[in-house]
Amino acid sequence: MIKNLVLVFMLLIGVNGFADEKEDVKKQLLSKIDAVIEVVQDKSLSKDQRNSKIVDVVTPTFDFKLMAKLSLGKKWKRLTKTDKGRFVKLYVERMKRSYSEKLDTYTDQKVEVTSVKQPKKNRMVVATNLISSSDKMDVVYKFWKPRKHIPTKDRWLVYDVEILGVSILKADKAQFSEFLKTKSIKDLMDTMINVK
Amino acid sequence: MRNVLILIFSLFIFVGCSSKDVNTPKENKQVIEQNSGKITENEEAVELASEEDELVGEDEFASEDEFLDEFEEEMTVEEVYDPLSGYNRAMTTFNDFLFRNVVTPVAKGYKSVVPKPAREGVKNFFHNLMYPIRGVNNLLQGKFANTAEETGRFVINSTIGIFGLFDPAKSLFGLEAHEEDFGQTLGYYGVGAGPHIVLPFFGPSNLRDMFSMYPDSYVDPTSVSPIESLDNYHIPDNYVESIAIKAVDRINYVSLHVGEYELLTDDAVDKYTLLRDAYEQRRKKLIEE
Repeated sequence: MIKNLVLVFMLLIGVNGFADEKEDVKKQLLSKIDAVIEVVQDKSLSKDQRNSKIVDVVTPTFDFKLMAKLSLGKKWKRLTKTDKGRFVKLYVERMKRSYSEKLDTYTDQKVEVTSVKQPKKNRMVVATNLISSSDKMDVVYKFWKPRKHIPTKDRWLVYDVEILGVSILKADKAQFSEFLKTKSIKDLMDTMINVK
Repeated sequence: MRNVLILIFSLFIFVGCSSKDVNTPKENKQVIEQNSGKITENEEAVELASEEDELVGEDEFASEDEFLDEFEEEMTVEEVYDPLSGYNRAMTTFNDFLFRNVVTPVAKGYKSVVPKPAREGVKNFFHNLMYPIRGVNNLLQGKFANTAEETGRFVINSTIGIFGLFDPAKSLFGLEAHEEDFGQTLGYYGVGAGPHIVLPFFGPSNLRDMFSMYPDSYVDPTSVSPIESLDNYHIPDNYVESIAIKAVDRINYVSLHVGEYELLTDDAVDKYTLLRDAYEQRRKKLIEE
Protein backbone atom coordinates (compact mmCIF):
# COMPACT_ATOMS: atom_id res chain seq x y z
CA MET A 1 0.00 0.00 0.00
CA ILE A 2 2.66 2.45 1.08
CA LYS A 3 4.77 1.30 -1.80
CA ASN A 4 1.94 2.16 -4.16
CA LEU A 5 1.43 5.55 -2.57
CA VAL A 6 5.09 6.33 -2.91
CA LEU A 7 4.92 5.26 -6.51
CA VAL A 8 1.92 7.48 -7.14
CA PHE A 9 3.69 10.39 -5.50
CA MET A 10 6.78 9.82 -7.55
CA LEU A 11 4.70 9.67 -10.69
CA LEU A 12 2.90 12.87 -9.79
CA ILE A 13 6.15 14.66 -9.11
CA GLY A 14 7.58 13.33 -12.33
CA VAL A 15 4.61 14.45 -14.35
CA ASN A 16 4.66 17.86 -12.72
CA GLY A 17 8.32 18.19 -13.45
CA PHE A 18 7.64 17.69 -17.12
CA ALA A 19 4.65 19.99 -17.11
CA ASP A 20 6.69 22.76 -15.53
CA GLU A 21 9.44 22.41 -18.06
CA LYS A 22 6.94 22.52 -20.87
CA GLU A 23 5.35 25.57 -19.35
CA ASP A 24 8.75 27.24 -19.00
CA VAL A 25 9.71 26.66 -22.61
CA LYS A 26 6.34 27.90 -23.78
CA LYS A 27 6.70 31.05 -21.69
CA GLN A 28 10.26 31.55 -22.88
CA LEU A 29 9.17 31.34 -26.51
CA LEU A 30 6.16 33.60 -26.09
CA SER A 31 8.17 36.26 -24.27
CA LYS A 32 10.78 36.16 -27.05
CA ILE A 33 8.10 36.54 -29.67
CA ASP A 34 6.57 39.44 -27.76
CA ALA A 35 9.97 41.10 -27.57
CA VAL A 36 10.50 40.64 -31.31
CA ILE A 37 7.06 42.05 -32.11
CA GLU A 38 7.81 45.05 -29.93
CA VAL A 39 10.98 45.74 -31.91
CA VAL A 40 9.27 45.17 -35.25
CA GLN A 41 6.51 47.59 -34.38
CA ASP A 42 8.88 50.31 -33.24
CA LYS A 43 8.87 52.39 -36.37
CA SER A 44 11.13 55.02 -34.82
CA LEU A 45 14.05 52.68 -35.49
CA SER A 46 15.70 52.38 -38.88
CA LYS A 47 15.51 49.05 -40.68
CA ASP A 48 19.12 48.25 -39.76
CA GLN A 49 18.56 49.16 -36.14
CA ARG A 50 15.45 46.98 -36.03
CA ASN A 51 17.31 44.05 -37.56
CA SER A 52 20.21 44.26 -35.17
CA LYS A 53 17.81 44.56 -32.24
CA ILE A 54 15.93 41.50 -33.41
CA VAL A 55 19.22 39.61 -33.57
CA ASP A 56 19.99 40.69 -30.00
CA VAL A 57 16.62 39.44 -28.80
CA VAL A 58 16.70 36.16 -30.67
CA THR A 59 20.34 35.11 -30.31
CA PRO A 60 20.17 33.79 -26.71
CA THR A 61 17.33 31.43 -27.73
CA PHE A 62 18.79 30.06 -30.95
CA ASP A 63 21.60 27.57 -31.20
CA PHE A 64 22.92 28.87 -34.51
CA LYS A 65 26.20 27.04 -34.02
CA LEU A 66 24.51 23.68 -33.77
CA MET A 67 22.40 24.51 -36.80
CA ALA A 68 25.57 25.24 -38.75
CA LYS A 69 27.00 21.84 -37.88
CA LEU A 70 23.79 19.97 -38.59
CA SER A 71 23.27 21.73 -41.91
CA LEU A 72 26.29 19.93 -43.34
CA GLY A 73 25.20 16.52 -42.12
CA LYS A 74 27.84 13.82 -42.29
CA LYS A 75 30.14 16.10 -44.28
CA TRP A 76 30.72 18.21 -41.20
CA LYS A 77 33.08 15.67 -39.67
CA ARG A 78 35.28 15.64 -42.74
CA LEU A 79 36.02 19.36 -42.58
CA THR A 80 39.38 20.63 -41.38
CA LYS A 81 39.40 22.56 -38.15
CA THR A 82 39.93 25.87 -39.92
CA ASP A 83 37.07 25.20 -42.32
CA LYS A 84 34.81 24.24 -39.44
CA GLY A 85 35.46 27.50 -37.67
CA ARG A 86 35.01 29.54 -40.82
CA PHE A 87 31.85 27.72 -41.88
CA VAL A 88 30.18 28.15 -38.48
CA LYS A 89 30.98 31.85 -38.54
CA LEU A 90 29.55 32.32 -42.03
CA TYR A 91 26.47 30.25 -41.32
CA VAL A 92 25.66 32.09 -38.10
CA GLU A 93 26.04 35.46 -39.82
CA ARG A 94 23.83 34.34 -42.66
CA MET A 95 21.20 33.00 -40.27
CA LYS A 96 21.10 36.15 -38.22
CA ARG A 97 20.79 38.32 -41.28
CA SER A 98 18.15 36.26 -42.99
CA TYR A 99 16.22 35.73 -39.77
CA SER A 100 16.04 39.33 -38.79
CA GLU A 101 14.96 40.30 -42.29
CA LYS A 102 12.23 37.69 -42.37
CA LEU A 103 10.96 38.49 -38.92
CA ASP A 104 10.89 42.17 -39.78
CA THR A 105 8.11 41.55 -42.31
CA TYR A 106 5.74 40.29 -39.64
CA THR A 107 3.67 43.15 -38.44
CA ASP A 108 0.08 42.54 -37.46
CA GLN A 109 0.44 38.90 -36.57
CA LYS A 110 -0.48 37.18 -33.37
CA VAL A 111 1.06 34.00 -32.04
CA GLU A 112 -0.86 31.18 -30.43
CA VAL A 113 0.74 28.06 -28.99
CA THR A 114 -1.19 24.98 -30.07
CA SER A 115 0.83 22.22 -28.42
CA VAL A 116 3.99 21.52 -26.47
CA LYS A 117 5.52 18.06 -26.70
CA GLN A 118 8.57 16.55 -25.09
CA PRO A 119 9.69 13.62 -27.23
CA LYS A 120 12.87 13.12 -25.17
CA LYS A 121 14.02 14.54 -21.89
CA ASN A 122 16.25 17.04 -23.63
CA ARG A 123 13.94 17.85 -26.51
CA MET A 124 10.87 20.06 -26.74
CA VAL A 125 8.64 20.73 -29.70
CA VAL A 126 6.43 23.80 -29.54
CA ALA A 127 3.78 24.12 -32.23
CA THR A 128 2.37 27.58 -32.85
CA ASN A 129 0.03 29.36 -35.19
CA LEU A 130 1.02 32.68 -36.63
CA ILE A 131 -2.28 34.43 -37.14
CA SER A 132 -2.77 37.53 -39.25
CA SER A 133 -6.00 39.13 -40.39
CA SER A 134 -6.28 36.87 -43.41
CA ASP A 135 -3.98 33.92 -42.86
CA LYS A 136 -2.95 31.28 -40.41
CA MET A 137 0.47 29.71 -40.66
CA ASP A 138 1.77 26.85 -38.57
CA VAL A 139 5.24 27.36 -37.21
CA VAL A 140 6.95 24.69 -35.10
CA TYR A 141 9.95 25.48 -32.90
CA LYS A 142 12.25 22.64 -31.93
CA PHE A 143 14.23 23.07 -28.74
CA TRP A 144 16.98 21.07 -27.13
CA LYS A 145 18.54 21.39 -23.73
CA PRO A 146 22.32 21.26 -23.46
CA ARG A 147 23.53 19.44 -20.35
CA LYS A 148 25.52 22.44 -19.21
CA HIS A 149 23.84 25.78 -19.20
CA ILE A 150 25.73 28.22 -21.43
CA PRO A 151 25.85 31.50 -19.52
CA THR A 152 24.96 33.80 -22.44
CA LYS A 153 22.21 31.48 -23.64
CA ASP A 154 18.77 30.41 -22.53
CA ARG A 155 18.32 27.04 -20.87
CA TRP A 156 16.47 25.57 -23.84
CA LEU A 157 17.69 26.38 -27.33
CA VAL A 158 15.99 26.37 -30.70
CA TYR A 159 17.82 24.26 -33.29
CA ASP A 160 15.19 24.13 -36.01
CA VAL A 161 12.04 25.91 -37.12
CA GLU A 162 9.39 24.36 -39.33
CA ILE A 163 7.26 26.76 -41.32
CA LEU A 164 4.20 25.14 -42.90
CA GLY A 165 5.90 21.79 -42.50
CA VAL A 166 9.14 22.94 -44.10
CA SER A 167 12.16 22.63 -41.85
CA ILE A 168 14.56 25.49 -42.49
CA LEU A 169 17.43 23.32 -41.35
CA LYS A 170 16.49 20.53 -43.74
CA ALA A 171 16.05 23.05 -46.52
CA ASP A 172 19.59 24.30 -45.91
CA LYS A 173 20.91 20.79 -45.61
CA ALA A 174 19.38 19.78 -48.93
CA GLN A 175 20.87 22.82 -50.65
CA PHE A 176 24.33 22.29 -49.19
CA SER A 177 24.34 18.60 -49.97
CA GLU A 178 23.27 19.29 -53.58
CA PHE A 179 25.92 21.99 -53.87
CA LEU A 180 28.68 19.81 -52.46
CA LYS A 181 27.94 17.02 -54.93
CA THR A 182 29.75 19.00 -57.58
CA LYS A 183 31.65 21.69 -55.69
CA SER A 184 33.96 22.04 -52.73
CA ILE A 185 33.34 23.37 -49.24
CA LYS A 186 35.45 26.37 -50.17
CA ASP A 187 33.11 27.11 -53.10
CA LEU A 188 30.18 26.82 -50.73
CA MET A 189 31.67 29.30 -48.29
CA ASP A 190 32.51 31.71 -51.11
CA THR A 191 28.90 31.48 -52.29
CA MET A 192 27.63 32.12 -48.78
CA ILE A 193 29.66 35.30 -48.65
CA ASN A 194 28.51 36.46 -52.05
CA VAL A 195 24.82 35.66 -51.77
CA LYS A 196 23.37 38.94 -50.62
CA MET B 1 -5.10 21.78 -56.06
CA ARG B 2 -6.10 25.28 -56.98
CA ASN B 3 -4.66 26.60 -53.78
CA VAL B 4 -1.46 24.88 -54.59
CA LEU B 5 -1.44 26.53 -57.96
CA ILE B 6 -2.00 29.89 -56.40
CA LEU B 7 0.75 29.44 -53.90
CA ILE B 8 3.17 28.02 -56.33
CA PHE B 9 5.78 30.67 -56.62
CA SER B 10 5.79 31.54 -53.01
CA LEU B 11 7.94 28.68 -51.83
CA PHE B 12 5.27 27.24 -49.60
CA ILE B 13 4.24 24.60 -52.02
CA PHE B 14 5.37 21.12 -51.93
CA VAL B 15 5.02 17.39 -52.47
CA GLY B 16 5.53 14.13 -50.72
CA CYS B 17 8.26 12.12 -52.21
CA SER B 18 9.63 8.81 -53.12
CA SER B 19 13.02 9.03 -51.71
CA LYS B 20 16.19 7.78 -50.28
CA ASP B 21 18.12 9.20 -47.40
CA VAL B 22 20.99 11.49 -48.03
CA ASN B 23 24.30 10.34 -46.66
CA THR B 24 22.76 7.78 -44.38
CA PRO B 25 24.12 4.28 -44.26
CA LYS B 26 21.58 1.50 -44.56
CA GLU B 27 21.60 0.22 -40.99
CA ASN B 28 21.11 3.70 -39.74
CA LYS B 29 18.20 4.24 -42.07
CA GLN B 30 16.33 1.25 -40.74
CA VAL B 31 16.72 2.45 -37.22
CA ILE B 32 15.30 5.79 -38.22
CA GLU B 33 12.31 4.29 -39.92
CA GLN B 34 11.48 2.01 -37.05
CA ASN B 35 11.61 4.52 -34.30
CA SER B 36 11.80 8.16 -35.11
CA GLY B 37 11.30 9.31 -31.58
CA LYS B 38 13.40 6.76 -29.78
CA ILE B 39 15.78 7.74 -27.05
CA THR B 40 19.37 7.34 -28.08
CA GLU B 41 21.21 4.60 -26.34
CA ASN B 42 24.40 6.48 -25.79
CA GLU B 43 22.88 9.41 -23.98
CA GLU B 44 25.89 9.47 -21.71
CA ALA B 45 28.31 9.90 -24.58
CA VAL B 46 26.04 12.50 -26.06
CA GLU B 47 26.03 14.57 -22.97
CA LEU B 48 29.74 14.27 -22.44
CA ALA B 49 30.32 15.39 -25.98
CA SER B 50 27.99 18.33 -25.66
CA GLU B 51 29.68 19.37 -22.49
CA GLU B 52 33.03 19.40 -24.17
CA ASP B 53 31.58 21.24 -27.07
CA GLU B 54 30.61 24.11 -24.85
CA LEU B 55 33.50 24.17 -22.46
CA VAL B 56 36.56 23.57 -24.53
CA GLY B 57 37.07 26.65 -26.59
CA GLU B 58 40.15 25.59 -28.48
CA ASP B 59 39.14 22.05 -29.02
CA GLU B 60 35.64 23.09 -29.78
CA PHE B 61 34.95 20.60 -32.53
CA ALA B 62 36.53 17.56 -30.95
CA SER B 63 34.65 14.47 -29.78
CA GLU B 64 31.26 15.68 -30.80
CA ASP B 65 30.49 12.92 -33.24
CA GLU B 66 28.05 10.99 -31.07
CA PHE B 67 26.45 14.20 -30.01
CA LEU B 68 25.74 15.21 -33.60
CA ASP B 69 24.67 11.69 -34.50
CA GLU B 70 21.78 12.03 -32.14
CA PHE B 71 20.46 14.88 -34.25
CA GLU B 72 21.42 13.20 -37.50
CA GLU B 73 18.53 10.80 -37.08
CA GLU B 74 15.86 13.44 -37.04
CA MET B 75 17.61 15.70 -39.50
CA THR B 76 17.76 13.12 -42.23
CA VAL B 77 16.83 14.76 -45.48
CA GLU B 78 15.00 12.58 -47.94
CA GLU B 79 16.46 12.96 -51.36
CA VAL B 80 13.87 14.02 -53.89
CA TYR B 81 13.57 11.80 -56.96
CA ASP B 82 14.71 14.18 -59.63
CA PRO B 83 15.67 12.65 -62.98
CA LEU B 84 14.55 15.83 -64.76
CA SER B 85 16.79 18.15 -62.78
CA GLY B 86 18.34 19.69 -65.91
CA TYR B 87 14.99 20.74 -67.32
CA ASN B 88 13.69 21.62 -63.85
CA ARG B 89 16.55 23.99 -63.18
CA ALA B 90 16.04 25.77 -66.48
CA MET B 91 12.31 26.10 -65.86
CA THR B 92 12.93 27.38 -62.33
CA THR B 93 15.19 30.08 -63.76
CA PHE B 94 12.42 31.01 -66.22
CA ASN B 95 9.71 31.06 -63.54
CA ASP B 96 11.93 33.04 -61.21
CA PHE B 97 12.58 35.65 -63.89
CA LEU B 98 8.89 35.83 -64.72
CA PHE B 99 7.89 36.16 -61.10
CA ARG B 100 10.34 38.92 -60.31
CA ASN B 101 9.84 40.89 -63.50
CA VAL B 102 6.19 40.38 -64.29
CA VAL B 103 4.12 38.88 -61.47
CA THR B 104 5.57 40.96 -58.62
CA PRO B 105 5.45 44.32 -60.45
CA VAL B 106 1.87 43.69 -61.59
CA ALA B 107 0.85 42.61 -58.09
CA LYS B 108 2.48 45.73 -56.66
CA GLY B 109 0.60 47.95 -59.09
CA TYR B 110 -2.65 46.19 -58.27
CA LYS B 111 -1.90 46.50 -54.57
CA SER B 112 -1.42 50.26 -54.85
CA VAL B 113 -4.84 50.65 -56.50
CA VAL B 114 -6.98 48.17 -54.60
CA PRO B 115 -7.29 48.53 -50.81
CA LYS B 116 -6.41 45.55 -48.63
CA PRO B 117 -9.94 44.70 -47.42
CA ALA B 118 -11.07 44.45 -51.04
CA ARG B 119 -8.15 42.18 -51.89
CA GLU B 120 -8.92 40.00 -48.92
CA GLY B 121 -12.51 39.85 -50.15
CA VAL B 122 -11.31 38.67 -53.56
CA LYS B 123 -9.13 36.08 -51.88
CA ASN B 124 -12.07 34.83 -49.81
CA PHE B 125 -14.27 34.77 -52.90
CA PHE B 126 -11.90 32.50 -54.81
CA HIS B 127 -11.27 30.33 -51.79
CA ASN B 128 -15.00 29.83 -51.36
CA LEU B 129 -15.35 29.06 -55.06
CA MET B 130 -12.84 26.24 -54.69
CA TYR B 131 -14.97 24.56 -52.03
CA PRO B 132 -15.87 21.63 -54.34
CA ILE B 133 -12.23 20.58 -54.59
CA ARG B 134 -11.83 20.55 -50.82
CA GLY B 135 -15.23 18.98 -50.25
CA VAL B 136 -14.75 16.15 -52.73
CA ASN B 137 -11.20 15.35 -51.70
CA ASN B 138 -12.02 15.35 -47.99
CA LEU B 139 -14.81 12.94 -48.84
CA LEU B 140 -12.55 10.74 -50.97
CA GLN B 141 -10.19 10.44 -48.01
CA GLY B 142 -13.04 9.49 -45.72
CA LYS B 143 -12.68 12.69 -43.70
CA PHE B 144 -16.40 13.10 -43.22
CA ALA B 145 -16.26 15.61 -40.39
CA ASN B 146 -14.03 17.85 -42.50
CA THR B 147 -16.36 17.52 -45.47
CA ALA B 148 -19.26 18.55 -43.27
CA GLU B 149 -17.31 21.50 -41.88
CA GLU B 150 -16.30 22.58 -45.38
CA THR B 151 -19.89 22.31 -46.56
CA GLY B 152 -21.07 24.38 -43.62
CA ARG B 153 -18.47 26.99 -44.48
CA PHE B 154 -19.60 27.08 -48.10
CA VAL B 155 -23.27 27.52 -47.20
CA ILE B 156 -22.62 30.23 -44.61
CA ASN B 157 -20.01 32.14 -46.62
CA SER B 158 -21.99 32.00 -49.87
CA THR B 159 -25.03 33.51 -48.14
CA ILE B 160 -24.22 35.54 -45.03
CA GLY B 161 -20.70 36.04 -46.39
CA ILE B 162 -22.12 37.56 -49.62
CA PHE B 163 -20.91 35.17 -52.36
CA GLY B 164 -17.89 34.27 -50.30
CA LEU B 165 -16.43 37.77 -50.07
CA PHE B 166 -16.35 37.47 -46.30
CA ASP B 167 -15.59 34.57 -44.01
CA PRO B 168 -18.22 34.65 -41.27
CA ALA B 169 -18.07 30.85 -41.08
CA LYS B 170 -14.75 31.25 -39.35
CA SER B 171 -15.15 34.55 -37.56
CA LEU B 172 -18.67 33.88 -36.25
CA PHE B 173 -19.01 30.12 -36.24
CA GLY B 174 -15.43 28.98 -35.81
CA LEU B 175 -15.54 26.64 -38.81
CA GLU B 176 -12.09 25.95 -40.25
CA ALA B 177 -11.12 25.20 -43.83
CA HIS B 178 -9.51 21.85 -44.63
CA GLU B 179 -7.27 22.12 -47.64
CA GLU B 180 -7.30 18.95 -49.71
CA ASP B 181 -6.74 18.31 -53.38
CA PHE B 182 -6.53 15.21 -55.54
CA GLY B 183 -2.76 15.03 -55.26
CA GLN B 184 -3.18 14.79 -51.49
CA THR B 185 -5.92 12.20 -51.92
CA LEU B 186 -3.61 10.02 -54.00
CA GLY B 187 -0.83 10.57 -51.48
CA TYR B 188 -3.23 9.60 -48.70
CA TYR B 189 -3.76 6.23 -50.41
CA GLY B 190 -0.04 5.70 -50.73
CA VAL B 191 0.67 6.95 -54.24
CA GLY B 192 4.24 8.24 -54.37
CA ALA B 193 5.15 11.65 -55.69
CA GLY B 194 7.05 10.41 -58.71
CA PRO B 195 9.67 12.60 -60.33
CA HIS B 196 9.75 16.24 -59.38
CA ILE B 197 8.57 18.43 -62.26
CA VAL B 198 8.70 22.22 -62.43
CA LEU B 199 5.78 23.50 -64.47
CA PRO B 200 5.96 26.71 -66.47
CA PHE B 201 4.05 29.50 -64.64
CA PHE B 202 2.77 27.16 -61.92
CA GLY B 203 6.16 26.33 -60.41
CA PRO B 204 7.21 23.20 -58.49
CA SER B 205 5.12 20.07 -58.83
CA ASN B 206 5.61 16.36 -59.40
CA LEU B 207 4.09 13.69 -61.56
CA ARG B 208 1.36 12.79 -59.10
CA ASP B 209 0.31 16.37 -58.44
CA MET B 210 0.53 17.35 -62.08
CA PHE B 211 -1.87 14.60 -63.16
CA SER B 212 -4.12 15.42 -60.24
CA MET B 213 -4.89 18.77 -61.78
CA TYR B 214 -7.05 16.95 -64.30
CA PRO B 215 -9.49 15.20 -61.92
CA ASP B 216 -9.66 18.39 -59.85
CA SER B 217 -10.61 20.36 -62.96
CA TYR B 218 -13.92 18.42 -63.03
CA VAL B 219 -15.05 20.12 -59.85
CA ASP B 220 -13.06 23.37 -60.07
CA PRO B 221 -15.54 25.95 -61.41
CA THR B 222 -12.73 28.17 -62.73
CA SER B 223 -11.36 25.45 -65.00
CA VAL B 224 -12.59 24.65 -68.49
CA SER B 225 -15.01 21.76 -68.29
CA PRO B 226 -13.33 18.47 -69.24
CA ILE B 227 -16.71 17.06 -70.37
CA GLU B 228 -19.62 18.75 -72.12
CA SER B 229 -22.30 17.76 -69.64
CA LEU B 230 -20.58 19.88 -66.98
CA ASP B 231 -20.27 23.01 -69.14
CA ASN B 232 -22.85 24.95 -67.19
CA TYR B 233 -21.06 24.31 -63.94
CA HIS B 234 -17.76 25.71 -65.18
CA ILE B 235 -17.47 29.47 -65.51
CA PRO B 236 -14.95 29.84 -68.35
CA ASP B 237 -15.96 28.75 -71.89
CA ASN B 238 -12.41 28.43 -73.11
CA TYR B 239 -8.82 28.29 -71.86
CA VAL B 240 -8.19 32.00 -72.36
CA GLU B 241 -11.04 32.85 -70.00
CA SER B 242 -9.91 30.23 -67.54
CA ILE B 243 -6.36 31.57 -67.53
CA ALA B 244 -7.65 35.12 -67.09
CA ILE B 245 -9.74 34.14 -64.07
CA LYS B 246 -6.87 32.22 -62.53
CA ALA B 247 -4.49 35.09 -63.21
CA VAL B 248 -6.71 37.47 -61.24
CA ASP B 249 -6.81 35.00 -58.38
CA ARG B 250 -3.04 34.63 -58.52
CA ILE B 251 -2.15 38.31 -58.79
CA ASN B 252 -4.55 39.04 -55.97
CA TYR B 253 -2.90 36.38 -53.85
CA VAL B 254 0.58 37.67 -54.56
CA SER B 255 -0.53 41.22 -53.77
CA LEU B 256 -1.26 40.03 -50.23
CA HIS B 257 2.21 38.46 -50.04
CA VAL B 258 4.42 40.91 -51.89
CA GLY B 259 8.12 40.34 -51.33
CA GLU B 260 7.79 36.99 -49.57
CA TYR B 261 9.08 34.93 -52.46
CA GLU B 262 12.03 37.27 -52.92
CA LEU B 263 12.80 37.20 -49.20
CA LEU B 264 12.81 33.43 -49.15
CA THR B 265 14.89 32.88 -52.23
CA ASP B 266 17.30 35.83 -52.21
CA ASP B 267 19.77 34.31 -49.78
CA ALA B 268 19.48 30.78 -51.08
CA VAL B 269 22.69 28.99 -51.91
CA ASP B 270 20.78 26.91 -54.46
CA LYS B 271 17.38 28.37 -55.29
CA TYR B 272 16.16 25.37 -57.25
CA THR B 273 16.94 22.86 -54.50
CA LEU B 274 15.37 25.12 -51.91
CA LEU B 275 12.12 25.42 -53.87
CA ARG B 276 12.09 21.75 -54.77
CA ASP B 277 12.65 20.46 -51.25
CA ALA B 278 10.32 22.96 -49.70
CA TYR B 279 7.57 21.92 -52.11
CA GLU B 280 8.08 18.22 -51.45
CA GLN B 281 8.35 18.69 -47.66
CA ARG B 282 5.22 20.81 -47.65
CA ARG B 283 3.19 18.37 -49.71
CA LYS B 284 4.31 15.52 -47.50
CA LYS B 285 3.11 17.42 -44.45
CA LEU B 286 -0.22 18.22 -46.09
CA ILE B 287 -0.75 14.57 -46.97
CA GLU B 288 0.02 13.48 -43.42
CA GLU B 289 -2.52 15.90 -41.97
